Amino acid sequence: MPEWPDDVAEELRQHLDDQYRELRAAGASHDDALRAMADDVNAVRSRRSGLRPELVAADVRYAFRTLRRNPGFAIVVLLTLALGIGANAAIFSVVNGVLLRPLPYRDADRLMVIRGDLKRPGLNDIPASAGEYVDYRDRSHAFEQVAAYDTVGFNLTGGGEPERVDGAIVSTTLFSLLGASAQVGRTLVADEDQPGRDDVVVLSHSLWTRRFSANPAIVGQTIPVDGRPAQVVGVMPAAFQFPDRSIEIWKPFLLDADALSDNNRGSHGYTALARLKAGISRQQAQADLNAVTAAFKADHPGNYRNGFGATLRPLQEEIVGDTGRPLIVLLGAVAIVLLIACANVANLLLARAASRRKEIALRTALGASRGRLVRQLMTESVLVSAIGGSIGLGLAAWGVDLLITSAPDSIPRIQEVGVDARVAGFTALVSLATGLVFGLVPALRASRAPLNDALKEGGRAGGGVHGFAGRALVVSEVALSLVLLIAAGLLIHSFTRLQDVAPGFDSSRLLTFRLSLPESRYTTFQKGQSFFDEFFAGLRRSPGVRGVAAINALPFSGLGGSRSFHIEGREEKRPEDQTEEQLRIVTDGYFAAMGIPIVAGREFTDRDALNQPRVAVVNDAMAKKHWPHESPIGKRVSFSTDEPHWYEIVGVAGNIKHRALEAADRPELYVPYRQPLFAGWTVRPMYVIARTSADPASTVAIARHEIARVDRDQPISDVRTMDERIGRSLSSRRFSMVLLALFAGLALTLAAVGIYGVVAYAVTERTHEIGVRVALGAQRRDVMAMVVGQGMTMTLVGTAIGVAASAALARLMSSLLFGVSAVDPATFVAIPLLLVAVALAACYVPARRAMRVDPLQALRSE
Amino acid sequence: MLDRELKKGSAELLILSLLEDQPRHGYDLSKLIETRSGGLLKFRVASLYPLLYRLEKRGWILGRWIEKAGQRRRRYYRLTPVGAHVLASQRDTWREFVLAISRVTGVEHA
Repeated sequence: MPEWPDDVAEELRQHLDDQYRELRAAGASHDDALRAMADDVNAVRSRRSGLRPELVAADVRYAFRTLRRNPGFAIVVLLTLALGIGANAAIFSVVNGVLLRPLPYRDADRLMVIRGDLKRPGLNDIPASAGEYVDYRDRSHAFEQVAAYDTVGFNLTGGGEPERVDGAIVSTTLFSLLGASAQVGRTLVADEDQPGRDDVVVLSHSLWTRRFSANPAIVGQTIPVDGRPAQVVGVMPAAFQFPDRSIEIWKPFLLDADALSDNNRGSHGYTALARLKAGISRQQAQADLNAVTAAFKADHPGNYRNGFGATLRPLQEEIVGDTGRPLIVLLGAVAIVLLIACANVANLLLARAASRRKEIALRTALGASRGRLVRQLMTESVLVSAIGGSIGLGLAAWGVDLLITSAPDSIPRIQEVGVDARVAGFTALVSLATGLVFGLVPALRASRAPLNDALKEGGRAGGGVHGFAGRALVVSEVALSLVLLIAAGLLIHSFTRLQDVAPGFDSSRLLTFRLSLPESRYTTFQKGQSFFDEFFAGLRRSPGVRGVAAINALPFSGLGGSRSFHIEGREEKRPEDQTEEQLRIVTDGYFAAMGIPIVAGREFTDRDALNQPRVAVVNDAMAKKHWPHESPIGKRVSFSTDEPHWYEIVGVAGNIKHRALEAADRPELYVPYRQPLFAGWTVRPMYVIARTSADPASTVAIARHEIARVDRDQPISDVRTMDERIGRSLSSRRFSMVLLALFAGLALTLAAVGIYGVVAYAVTERTHEIGVRVALGAQRRDVMAMVVGQGMTMTLVGTAIGVAASAALARLMSSLLFGVSAVDPATFVAIPLLLVAVALAACYVPARRAMRVDPLQALRSE
Repeated sequence: MLDRELKKGSAELLILSLLEDQPRHGYDLSKLIETRSGGLLKFRVASLYPLLYRLEKRGWILGRWIEKAGQRRRRYYRLTPVGAHVLASQRDTWREFVLAISRVTGVEHA
């Protein structure tokens, strides 16, 4: 009542006036009279302002009482909502932490990555060379600062076990660009990229704690890094990570004349970062960048192909990469679970509203307005969803911990995921929306119940009101859960297909680890070769070791690399048009140790030495691609055009899966470690593989021991069995699959509860009718068929809609599948059958109850 | 909650009943309800006048300002024919309701 007509106001004034006079006439003092009237006056005031908090409070109290009267109802509803909202909050936490929350650097939205771009597929993501970094830094105007980095590994020795740690070589500007300062000591200063000044390192908090017992005195001391002394200048705070958590040491890269020479202008190894000046847009910065690239292209005409340019993209995008899509699919899946939960709760409320019709009719008869009733009922549902949401948030906090520990490493920033204010806000919003969604329809329906009917009908509530809406809700539940089930089914089917893919080598009992000999000690590749010869000889003699070899880029290690080459006798091509294929450098016996079959010819032996004719092995895909109609054996290839070293192909090996099981077979070219591509070749980081006759894990200690016998300062890292590596390559897929299957299972359970609820309710409602039917001679079988038929009609309609919806959504799924069509007939038959079976079970329980209805009792109760 | 509405529903019934014999003004109505119920029922002004206003809008009662010599003008309400009809049916409903309640409570106590 926002405004009262003047009439009412005048009457009120008069009334109060009358009351006052009367009180005074009865002997009350002025103050007493006013005090006696205070309540009335206050009530008038609060009504006038339209604020009636006492009503809202009363509604909430009433809602609590109603819930306490029906504990069973309350528990089922709260549990359903807590699971639905909790799952949403948990997945949203991940989306929030990974995709939405800004990176943990100062003004992170102004941080950009600069990439070289040849505007050709595969060539639009080129890192920067040292010379380009300096040009971006000195010639641009749009950036406050420019930095560059590359991730590398460092061998730490001296004092304790030698250790291989992940690190980064960085420009001295990196820390100030990120806005990060050291916890102890300092970060890098300007001239530490100059020769003689660059032997300094900054440690991460984790490395400092682990290896140096968090001793602040380490700052200023010298430690051996890759065999050279380096001074520790600072330790970063625990919260600092760049570019990710695995990096534990930062060292400046050298910007000497050699690094900046034209020769090295094409060594694109660094990721260049830039911080936009405040107020500069990405477009303005891009224009500035175009001018810079045009200028340095003109200065170094021999170094750039046509069309070279540089593009900017946000650092956040660079770090998050393409993990967004599966996360969004999962968020969609939990949203569906919540919708189903809403439908279930709405159904329960409808059923309850039907049994509360008497109460509601009575209250209407006593003068409660419809709006008042709807508000009362909505207060109840919002209260229920608020409690459910709070429990859900608790579940989410627990679920997020579980998610973080089970999530694959490939999800960036996963360690930053947690329940924060934004997640809490999201949950509150979702809870409120949930309450409104599941509460509104039942509330409107309940309040519309025709008065006289409800009162006259006695105890039995009519089925009509609940009937249609309830059935529609169940149909949509079935359809929604089927969509999820089919999606999960497709992912599971893909996963089993993928697990059946043979990698092309024997992955069992294969120990693998990384060994990076430092160039400071192993200055020539011959020194590296003798290290391997001695180490391998020792390891081969060890018990349980059946084969040993090494490769530069191990399958399933994430490493790879291609090189351009020329086939003897074929037309010379311009440098930019030369053929490029994956190149692997392996020690002799690699194919035998890996169990890769040699299809034709032979593999490398220790006689393929530097002073012998150079040899190469190609895989089957390579042979078919480049020598489609002839044998490649005896053909020769070369990797440099100026003074060709010809490598004669002596063998053809079987194809293997290198990057992932789902990857297509790629052409590969193998050359022996003993015959390096160029003069002046130095040692490279290698992966060692050891085939064992027992558990490969027991060989780790033996390998360490044998290495230490040759050089006790050489650590090994990335120690895993091959089966572990293949398992990890599947971990992202497994993660999405398990979560989706979990949500689909939840959806199926909720749908089953929904079907059970509606059928059971219908049986209760129709007890009388069933009694009559049985009395008139209907068989128990007929009763059963009637009840089950009702439930199954809803199920089948829902199934049909769900199948159609899944087929329509198939295109969204296809990029996540492997070896399975998005409309895979097996899945589209098996999953609906599963759902129908569950629905049958859900109908069977109430149907049995209907069968046992005693006609006499059913009729007598009338 | 229930008793609040009970009061509200019954309030309509009470007001209509009190206006059945003669027109009355608001203060008179509130005094009568209080005295005749032996002080058990008491209406706050904040509810009474809006209720009168609502009843008038529904066309169940009609208010008129009447001036009497030596007194302020007062607004007197009387029952309309519609109001009389509603009163009759509400009395029935009320009777049924009371009967129903006593049946139910009677059964429960049996």
